[in-house]
Amino acid sequence: MVAYVAQRLAGLAFVFILVSIVAFLLMHATPGGPSDEPNMPLPPAAKENILRKCGLDQPLHIQYINYMANALRGDFGYSFSSPTETVAQVIGRTWPISITLGGITVVVALGSGILLGILAAIQQNSILDYVVTFIATLGLTVPNFVIALWLILVFAVELRWLPLGGWGDDWRQIIMPMIALGLGPMGIATRYTRASLVDVFTADYIRTARAKGLAERMVVMRHAIKNALIPIITVLGPRIPDLITGTIFVETMFRVPGLGKFFVESVLDRDYPMIMALMLLIAVLWGLVYLITDLLYTVIDPRVKLT
Amino acid sequence: MDQDTRSRLTRRAFLRAAAIGVGSAALAACGGGGATAPTAPPATIPPPTTAPTLAPVQPTPPPTAAPAPTAAPASAVTNSLGVTLPANAAPLEQQAFVVYFDITADFTSPNQMETIYKSGGFGSITNLTGDTLVRLNKDFQVQPAAALSWSSDETGKVWTFNLDPNLVWSDGTPVTAEDFVATFRYAADPTHAWDFAWYYSAPGAIKNWDKCVAGELPLDQLGVTAKDKHTLVIESETPAPFLPAKLVYSEVLSAAKLKEFGSGLYTADPAKTISCGPYLLKEFKPGERVVFEINPTYKGTNRPRIERVIQIAARPEAMFAGYQAGEVDRVTGEQLQTADNEIIARDPELSRQVRLTAADFRTDYLFFDCQNPPFNDVRVRQAFSHIIDRDTLIKSIITPTQGIPAYSFLMPGFPASNSEGLKNIQRYDPERGRALLKEAGYEGGKGFPKLTLWLRNEPQIRQALAAAIAAEITQEYGIEVEVSNKEFKTFMDALNAKPTQIQFGMVSYGIDFLDPSNMLGVWLSTGRHNWFNKTYDEMVLKAAEMTDQEARIKIFQDAERLLCEEAPAVFIYHRTVADIYKPYVVGECFEPNIAGFAGLQWPGFTSMSDSLQTLYISNEVTKYRKGTPR
Repeated sequence: MVAYVAQRLAGLAFVFILVSIVAFLLMHATPGGPSDEPNMPLPPAAKENILRKCGLDQPLHIQYINYMANALRGDFGYSFSSPTETVAQVIGRTWPISITLGGITVVVALGSGILLGILAAIQQNSILDYVVTFIATLGLTVPNFVIALWLILVFAVELRWLPLGGWGDDWRQIIMPMIALGLGPMGIATRYTRASLVDVFTADYIRTARAKGLAERMVVMRHAIKNALIPIITVLGPRIPDLITGTIFVETMFRVPGLGKFFVESVLDRDYPMIMALMLLIAVLWGLVYLITDLLYTVIDPRVKLT
Repeated sequence: MDQDTRSRLTRRAFLRAAAIGVGSAALAACGGGGATAPTAPPATIPPPTTAPTLAPVQPTPPPTAAPAPTAAPASAVTNSLGVTLPANAAPLEQQAFVVYFDITADFTSPNQMETIYKSGGFGSITNLTGDTLVRLNKDFQVQPAAALSWSSDETGKVWTFNLDPNLVWSDGTPVTAEDFVATFRYAADPTHAWDFAWYYSAPGAIKNWDKCVAGELPLDQLGVTAKDKHTLVIESETPAPFLPAKLVYSEVLSAAKLKEFGSGLYTADPAKTISCGPYLLKEFKPGERVVFEINPTYKGTNRPRIERVIQIAARPEAMFAGYQAGEVDRVTGEQLQTADNEIIARDPELSRQVRLTAADFRTDYLFFDCQNPPFNDVRVRQAFSHIIDRDTLIKSIITPTQGIPAYSFLMPGFPASNSEGLKNIQRYDPERGRALLKEAGYEGGKGFPKLTLWLRNEPQIRQALAAAIAAEITQEYGIEVEVSNKEFKTFMDALNAKPTQIQFGMVSYGIDFLDPSNMLGVWLSTGRHNWFNKTYDEMVLKAAEMTDQEARIKIFQDAERLLCEEAPAVFIYHRTVADIYKPYVVGECFEPNIAGFAGLQWPGFTSMSDSLQTLYISNEVTKYRKGTPR
């Protein structure tokens, strides 16, 4: 097990380097730079001043080596868009908020999704099943920013039950972003749980358990669910890094000061240090999540062996 | 387990339910559709189409001091600066102006000499913690501000500004000419790399500005010096009678703080910053909140009525919803979406809350790469100038509150604008256009290359405009045009590349300062478009230097005529910006200005404008706001 994990982590380091090179090259290949010229063009000297200030006057390979050497020491540079803060400070300020929102959403959305999926599978083709499937499909098909705007118009503007947005001064501020963020993953969790469980219900060992006279609750809880878990974990595991790094639309719609908006804005602003740091963060998170899901298989299903 | 005993949805039951559902949906669609369809175009304030041209920019300040607010009976409300508010003012704790700024916009500092472009995007309120040398009134006339008076010598290149000796920093130290010298040196400093560094170049360049920015001369060679504690001397490279108007961008930084912190970013930290302006920075959290509070130590002439300015970060798509929920006092026209404008137009109560401004006199236009075929042929460009059916486009796509037709570059109300006189040159005339194309050898569009019309990250309204124009070109001229909405920086990078990479595009320009040399300067050979005309350059640069107002306006108008005739651009429309304000936001700044606009004019609620002196919250606010704004 230790050897396996060490091997995977070494592989992750290789992926880390590869991602950094690809992100760096793509970033610099995109036209435009950190200088803004919506009105008149900057005189060449002024533009060079900006590039020099951002360290972009060096040849590309020197910039890359400098960046990676600093990154390995934990120094990701200063954000071009927020020059009084280092990238690490910006991420340190905003990521915990995204983790909080995303973490609560994971627990509530995935938890309720799995629960609804179990109920729907137990009562297949009942009204409950159809209602649950309808809600799941709604969550999957309607984009989260449409849901967000709809929630704002109904609950904040018309009914005035919930605050428009913000974070930190009212516990009700988490309700709408959690719903907007969570409906999609809840839909996925419901669908996959239901499908996987329905499949497991057709297995011989389930028929045997029922024939032995076991109560239906025991059949489901002790035998069916554990076997249904493998595909569920495979699909839901990668949703977690998605949720805890925030999403731009939900966070900006509800004014949650999280990390989500930087994924889009740093690219539009050509904030190179931020772009690089975020790409590396994502690579590390996804690599770790896949490693953890692989390890979890062995816990759930003893037949699965790590090679 | 017997499955039949569990509840099942039978096929019959399902079909029954589906039929009821579909029937209900059909009834709802039929019933709701007809009643609310708008019949007439929205009845709102018709924007002025041809306004008298403004009084030309004065080279010397008007004789009186800053105008006092119109006399009103004394009320009980006096703010923390000792300013007495009109009788209908709300209590002091309600004198808070609450607005939105774009949550995704960069916001590194609220001081313009630190950054212009990273200051919270459209609609944000900035530049309140320092006075500028001059400011504007609602008729766009230059008024004294930190500089109480000024004059130039016989050469017109040396300007002397007499500073207000009462101005003081909030830490008790006096504001002196040295602060302004340090501010301008900081703006030119190559290590600071000011993002607006093109501004004090020609026309009307400060002496040695370009060389200092390029690092070729030390900063003490910059043509901004202190003659004594309260006298500032600014030299220009060439005579520039409009230099005072240009100096509206001069929000003073503290020389002591610049030295202590090494940069102007101290202005973004409430713990470090000091203010000599009407407000103090209380909170600065980009992406969340920015709050200013009145500066009780302010000794300048721009004495405000409002106690607090509270800005909340929000997404433009959600701003109007927040306005309807009563969270903010206004949403600017640039922040309103097309759907929001449709809701406003259909609601008489909301329509009454709309206040129209000329904003930054922005003109949208098509432009060409004039150095390469096919647009190097002036007949082809002129043909394109006859293809825009502006009246129909305004009526059906832009809507009359959002714009007026543009046949020339300078919007009515801007100095030297001559909309009536130039109206005929780029008139809608497809017949004439076809004849010109035939002359140029492209009869019926044969042999004309397929075009891609580049847009600069335009919202839906201008994408629709571009699509309509492209369709008209194809229909009338037989030329294939594809519309491509590019990302902002990709577009600007391609436009400014030498040689330019954009053959055919649509873009806009809004003013930086109130002089024709600014707008017309866009078309100089040194400007951003690929058109080089020596005659035009000579006319604009010559007029820029002249002091005789009538003569220079005549030359500017001749230059604009040449611009319309040579058609490196086809002018489409001038934007009128419809802001929406709650009825309790009042003040003399909202009375109609010289061009007939009755909204908060450019540059808005900032030290650069005297609107601070008159805007306040009336006692109607209790009907709308619950509690006091935080």
